[in-house]
Amino acid sequence: MCFRQWIRPFAGIVAFLAALVLSHAYADAPSPDELVRKLAAEMTSAVRSDPDLQNPGSVKISDFVQKNIVPRFDFERITQIAMGRNWAKANPAEQKQIVAEFSKLLTRTYSNAIATLKDLDVEVKSTRVVAPNADVTVKTQMIGRPQPVAIDYSLINGPGGWRVYDVSVEGISLAAAYRDEFAGLVAQSGVSGLIDALKKKNGG
Amino acid sequence: MKRTFASLFILAVIAPSLAFATPVKKMKPNVAPLPIEEAAEPAPPNDLFEPVNRATFALNDGIDALIVNPLVAVWNGIVPSFVRTGVGNFFNNLDDIYVGANHLLQGNGSRAAVDFQRVAVNTTIGIVGLVDVGAKMGLNKVDGDFGQTLGVWGVPTGPYLILPLIGPSTVRETAGRTVRIATDPRTYMDAVPSYSLMGLEYLQTRADAKANEGLIAASSLDRYVFVRNLYLQKRSLMVKAGLEASKSRQAAK
Repeated sequence: MCFRQWIRPFAGIVAFLAALVLSHAYADAPSPDELVRKLAAEMTSAVRSDPDLQNPGSVKISDFVQKNIVPRFDFERITQIAMGRNWAKANPAEQKQIVAEFSKLLTRTYSNAIATLKDLDVEVKSTRVVAPNADVTVKTQMIGRPQPVAIDYSLINGPGGWRVYDVSVEGISLAAAYRDEFAGLVAQSGVSGLIDALKKKNGG
Repeated sequence: MKRTFASLFILAVIAPSLAFATPVKKMKPNVAPLPIEEAAEPAPPNDLFEPVNRATFALNDGIDALIVNPLVAVWNGIVPSFVRTGVGNFFNNLDDIYVGANHLLQGNGSRAAVDFQRVAVNTTIGIVGLVDVGAKMGLNKVDGDFGQTLGVWGVPTGPYLILPLIGPSTVRETAGRTVRIATDPRTYMDAVPSYSLMGLEYLQTRADAKANEGLIAASSLDRYVFVRNLYLQKRSLMVKAGLEASKSRQAAK
């Protein structure tokens, strides 16, 4: 009896706390477009205030990219899109290798481009929901050049939170851009040929 | 075309970086990643003349290394950037006349009106097109050409082609380009002004595309295939945009 009397208000407190935590978490979890907007602002200000990040050869850039950008990309999904049907032809070990090499290639080639952010801004235009709370495309515009450039980010909500799995520039998909190359290499010399080509490109 | 590549890859990358600078709190994760629809897999590109194209592609690389790249280096090195921008704007302004004409041929009168307003504003206030005043007024330049018009009319692209000096094209786009050249006043000028103007436009276009060409070279495994993919994606998007514009007009009627 005594226990029940005691537990009731306690249960109420727990429920209240749970609700509080949930609502707090909910308020803290931004929608993907808010996320893009907020992070774009943070990123441009980081580049503007740090001269090292404006210098294309700088070591600091690769640290910065590894820490802040790489975790926000779903490289496995990007690789799957680029490989299409050939993804199933690779065994799990090969798949892992391809994802590792391809993400290295993408990160290495595009890291230095962050220096140009100094003069650019990102405006979030709209969001297209492909699947609610799971798959969305955030449409943005990059301004600060003679012509604005439309850039769309496709994001998927997975165990690691929202992550980017494709980027389209003026409608041209980055993941799809690699499709023909990957398909050609697999047709020519198999999955191992693709891995070799990626490794060679990465200088390994 | 090259101009579009110009905005292309650099930005493709920056932008993601922009967007995801800091780790973010997760939302409720969904159970499993969504499957990647196999249906979205596009048909392989029509590259009937691949061996010839690859040879021309290599030839163009050779011409670039020997002639174009040194000229571009001189152009970027000694000409101040505001002059280069002015030259780019001047040729863009001439191009807008063609863009507008093609939007008319595609039945897209409202976009043609914007193109011609750009020409009117840029030719007058913008001093014969040297300053892109139109863009500052919110009248942005878009692409448009006769190859696109043919596509909107239902003409298929035909096989992919690499043209000497010019680069990526298709049979349809080459037909469009031929019409453009035939209607270009420069074609009928005396040799010296004609070649100077065409040469200057070519140089400016190539100089503009340099940064992206470097990025493409750095990020591709087989540059020929990568360029082909980007070019064909771009051309099909242009035709799709033209068709959507005409569809939405029909719906409005």
